[in-house]
Amino acid sequence: MYGDGKDIDVKDTFERVEFDRLAGEWRYVITDMICRAGSGHLGGALSLVEVVLTLYKRVMRYDPANPKWEDRDRLVLSKGHAAPVLYVALAYEGFFPKDWLGTLNADGTKLPSHADERFVPGVDMTTGSLGQGLSCACGAALAAKMDGKPHTVFCIIGDGESNEGQNWEAGMFAAHNNLDNLVAICDYNKLQIDGFTEDVLDLEPLADKWRAFGWEVMEVDGHDWDALYETLTAAQAVTGRPTMILAHTIKGKGNLAVENRPGSHNIKIPDQAAYEKYMNALAVQNCTLPY
Amino acid sequence: MALHDQEMRFVYAETLNELMAENPKVLCLEADLSKATGTNPRVIEPNPSHFVNFGVAEANMVSAAAGLASEGKIPFAATFTCFASRRVYDQITISVAYANNNVKIVGTSPGVTAGPNGGTHMCFQDLAIMRAMPNMHVYSPCDAYELQAVVRYMATTEQPTYMQLVRGQVGAVFDESVTFSPDRAAKLRDGSDVTLVSTGYMTQFAVGVAETLAAEGIAVDLLHYPSVKPFDADTLVASASKTGGVVTVENQNIVGGLGGAVCEVLSEQCPTRVKRLGVPDQFGEVASEDYLFEKHGFGPAHIAAACRELAGKENA
Repeated sequence: MYGDGKDIDVKDTFERVEFDRLAGEWRYVITDMICRAGSGHLGGALSLVEVVLTLYKRVMRYDPANPKWEDRDRLVLSKGHAAPVLYVALAYEGFFPKDWLGTLNADGTKLPSHADERFVPGVDMTTGSLGQGLSCACGAALAAKMDGKPHTVFCIIGDGESNEGQNWEAGMFAAHNNLDNLVAICDYNKLQIDGFTEDVLDLEPLADKWRAFGWEVMEVDGHDWDALYETLTAAQAVTGRPTMILAHTIKGKGNLAVENRPGSHNIKIPDQAAYEKYMNALAVQNCTLPY
Repeated sequence: MALHDQEMRFVYAETLNELMAENPKVLCLEADLSKATGTNPRVIEPNPSHFVNFGVAEANMVSAAAGLASEGKIPFAATFTCFASRRVYDQITISVAYANNNVKIVGTSPGVTAGPNGGTHMCFQDLAIMRAMPNMHVYSPCDAYELQAVVRYMATTEQPTYMQLVRGQVGAVFDESVTFSPDRAAKLRDGSDVTLVSTGYMTQFAVGVAETLAAEGIAVDLLHYPSVKPFDADTLVASASKTGGVVTVENQNIVGGLGGAVCEVLSEQCPTRVKRLGVPDQFGEVASEDYLFEKHGFGPAHIAAACRELAGKENA
């Protein structure tokens, strides 16, 4: 939530009906954005809707009129391919006009497939090459510590992304440096490009791994409004060490054409029939597109 | 004590200390090689809060440096050239150059100066691969005074940069009056018979070669390039059009580095015969500098012979 000056604070205005409505609308818009683009990373964007919506509506402090406000909370979307859900959040919160959303991946667009701080107001770190974002977030959190700033650096990593060894370098570093202003969220939807994570490269016991690396570990249903809010705010209150939240999610949530399906990482929409297939599979229909 | 009497790594460390006193945003980042880089204890003792050791985790160091830079810090992240360039090429490409974060990568012990660590650590391609990266500046200062000027420049400009740092003592080329601009090559000697182009560690030898040749009656136009990218094409073209022959020498593979940059410019703007000296597309090995110069043909005697040939005075 936001205000317009240095007194900005979180203004939690949770209403379950409104949040449910917004989540449905965001999934509708995200699916349409990717279909218009002709292809895109649908599954991993849809799994994050409740996480990102809770962050921007109830947890993070920021100012859309001043995207670089130095006391804002940061969000590094390390799984940068989920950028559409971040772009929707930023547009709906007023960082840029909503009609930009219809230009995802178009020639000359300001909204490229992977999150890009160079073009998109409100994006705090350019990402896309998996494994780097958690390290970037460590740097941002360390800078805040050096400067005595109280803000939180959030970082969303993927479960497939967790295969990358650099995450574990960052894990050691964050614990060693007591970065308790770093809250990481693993979008644990159990699917990666080539199949289920347990089949491609099993992550389990994932919670134990992060605990062994010196992190506070929390687990949450990543689609439960109350649980997400309580977990995210509890993570912000942890002192002395970083927190990893394993958000158990469903890849492709809310779109039956991709929900919990291998192959939902990146979809191709070659024609009108494919477009209709993905749009008609949405659990929530007939939303108004903001572009 | 004159800077030339000191090891380059200690000049690097003391320059960082001076910069930290001027600007607390300057940070020293290391990956378990801080003693080799010369910053431990020289930087960590006076400036412990500006020193971060990442352990043997270069990928995390580079991306975290990007995160620090995105918050306004000016991180200098150092490790051996092999790890500072090829090991973290994607991290530098995406977290630093593509994202345009103001990170300074310092690659120590370039080329043959990795000596006893041998082939695994002897990196001959860092200038080439870093030069091929958009939005990167690539510097290789030749002596202690120029190093000081280059590091100062890096700390005061917002620009992703890679710099080679020779750790040991290097022969004098400049004095305290030297200035640095990435857009400008240094003309070290005027001559009309042949152009000799060098960078970094090899420039000290090029200076001696040019003096030797002068005594033989061969006038070398000697150009030193502290910045391989951006590359001062005008100075090169002016020299080549005057001399008609260009020798390049670098402590690197002859593919893609300084020699590559020279050939790219001249082939398009002033076709000129070029002889590239350096390592002819081979890996390094445990060996002394003299052995490697002799084996690969880029020591002072080889530089002199190439200059004589291109000057058309092989019998001088």
